[in-house]
Amino acid sequence: MTTDRLSTTFAALADPTRRAILARLVQGETSVTDLAKPFDISGPAISRHLKVLEHAGLITRGREAQWRPCRIEPNALKSVDDWLEKYRRFWEERFDRLEDYLEELQAKELKEKPMQKKRGRRK
Amino acid sequence: MNAHQSDAKSADFVISRVFDAPRDLVWKAFTDPEHMKQWWGPKGFTVIHSKMDLRPGGTYHYGMKAPDGTPMWGLFRYREIVAPERMVFVNSFSDEAGSVTRHTGHMAWPLEMVTTFTFEELPNGKTKLTTRSSAHNATEQEQKTFDTSHDSMKQGWTGTLDQLTGYLAKPKAR
Repeated sequence: MTTDRLSTTFAALADPTRRAILARLVQGETSVTDLAKPFDISGPAISRHLKVLEHAGLITRGREAQWRPCRIEPNALKSVDDWLEKYRRFWEERFDRLEDYLEELQAKELKEKPMQKKRGRRK
Repeated sequence: MNAHQSDAKSADFVISRVFDAPRDLVWKAFTDPEHMKQWWGPKGFTVIHSKMDLRPGGTYHYGMKAPDGTPMWGLFRYREIVAPERMVFVNSFSDEAGSVTRHTGHMAWPLEMVTTFTFEELPNGKTKLTTRSSAHNATEQEQKTFDTSHDSMKQGWTGTLDQLTGYLAKPKAR
């Protein structure tokens, strides 16, 4: 998935109504009418949300003119999950280095104040 | 709507770590550009630029060099600084001049993240550092087409996401 595609997916997920729609779809294929039921918003507004989700590849819609069931597309979610894993690694890597650096700083501090020097200050 | 409320609670993407160092020192490591130089960036990267204006509205602009020599630039835009407890900034990639950019060759980084760091004092001179991130900007297209409120942007989405990706792991029921 390209960066732009991923941006589109994240933007689609940034809205709480759309997340609620996805949460509903996890339970199975649903018609637009049924999807709209729990929400206090207009039909056209729901349709707009569905378009965003469809554009982001998060859902697909059936071809049947009347019923057009919506279903969730696991692949797009998988990409988001992969990205979050990368993001987690980004911070974990930095925390690893910070950990080393803080240890180094404190060791240096102890060296500069020999009175407080402790045995086994290095792990 | 119930779904909204539970989202708001389990919202952001959270990572935390306990450091064996007093809080003031951990705070200092984050708020002094000379300290940042020593540890910011992945292993093997060298920080080549580290300029900080630590105040709400100020920025931290950094540059680093990958092991293969490729430069990489980034920017924090500080929103809130409460020494030595808490800072909030928008974390994004940038260019050498300090302008925000969206793309980078190193990692597909789809958007800016609002990142909140909390520094929590623990017994025995330890410090718990927690970072919470959530998506900051929608794409331009999204903003043009829909009148999405700023509040909904600030709400996290990863709580639902966990639920949804949990679904991915399950065998198909249908």
